[in-house]
Amino acid sequence: MTVSPSEPAMAEQTLAPAPIEVRVNANAAHLSVVRAVAADLAMREDFDLDSIADLKLAVDEACSTLIDVALPGAALSCRFSPTAGRVVVDVSVLSAEPHEPKRDTFGWRVLSTLADDVTASTTPTDDGKHLVRIELSKAGGAVFQA
Amino acid sequence: MSPQAEKTTKGGYEQYAPVFAELAALDPDDPARTEVRDRLVTGHLPVAKHIARRFANRGENQEDLTQVATLGLINAVDRFDPERGVDFLSFAVPTIMGEVRRHFRDTSWAVRVPRRLKEMHLSISAAVGELSQRMGRAPTPSEIATHLGVSREEVFEGLEATNAYRSASLDDMLLGENDGVSLGDALGEEDEGMADVERRESLQPLLERLPERERTIVVLRFFGNMTQTQIADRVGISQMHVSRLLSRTLAKLRDALDEE
Repeated sequence: MTVSPSEPAMAEQTLAPAPIEVRVNANAAHLSVVRAVAADLAMREDFDLDSIADLKLAVDEACSTLIDVALPGAALSCRFSPTAGRVVVDVSVLSAEPHEPKRDTFGWRVLSTLADDVTASTTPTDDGKHLVRIELSKAGGAVFQA
Repeated sequence: MSPQAEKTTKGGYEQYAPVFAELAALDPDDPARTEVRDRLVTGHLPVAKHIARRFANRGENQEDLTQVATLGLINAVDRFDPERGVDFLSFAVPTIMGEVRRHFRDTSWAVRVPRRLKEMHLSISAAVGELSQRMGRAPTPSEIATHLGVSREEVFEGLEATNAYRSASLDDMLLGENDGVSLGDALGEEDEGMADVERRESLQPLLERLPERERTIVVLRFFGNMTQTQIADRVGISQMHVSRLLSRTLAKLRDALDEE
């Protein structure tokens, strides 16, 4: 497992802080680490407790969805970008098939209720695999909407 | 029992003896049972509160203790048999004490947590309850810090420590049937949301199989558009507890839906 601030594309990229990337084996046993990072970032953005808990649940749901379609031994990548009162989470995994998450499932309903925005996509890779990705974004709650 | 002991333990609850007889005489399916049972539980609530207070200052949240003691009281009302010639309090007090003791046995920190953090966890849960009541929404870590007069870092630590806390008997506690929202009622209002969920045929039976409280929480959050704090208020437990239950129930539902 690695937790690291990703390299900014350009050294002078100072406006948005570098995202934080957590890579774990695509295995449910590692989800507690990802959840803990999500909760910590939301806490430090001063999300209200409902929004902190919702972000944790959303990250759990998104990661579980991807773990289900992951190639054996694949890594699950979770990139977190905290910005003023909002956390954007981008999770992706390599899959054998273009398993884009379906929008008409209970899992998708859970994701879209918990997050403010959620999108899913799948992109073929050069070696015939597919990168499946879920991106979600969550604001800190009523305090930030006032 | 000596006449004196009888007097001190009964303390004005003799008036309920005929009500117990009334309850015992009712058919198990009689809808009138609910009202009679509620009357008995409500009437004896001071006993549960009194016992909960005796266990105060042992590092447990007082509201949680009262809730556990009330659960013991409900069990006692349900299991009491007036035919056996024992008065209700002689039966109820040990039952309620047993429930509270079991709570202490089952409730613990999953890992060793310093005393300072345990105390911070208690202060934070009390602050969250108070601030949510006052503001009508969940507080932020800064608001908790200001309220308690501690630093934000200390609140962060306390909130993180919450993850190491488990409260088995509270989590497994069932609510009385009238405290929940029936699935039909909740889904009736929210049928539109349910309609775009594919495989609602497979989701619905899974929801039906959940314990009533877990089902209520899931339905209110995902089909009723309520926040965790609003649900906590409605169901009568803390937001942190709603959060733990949601997390566990979603994992359970995911596993069950995957198997299909």
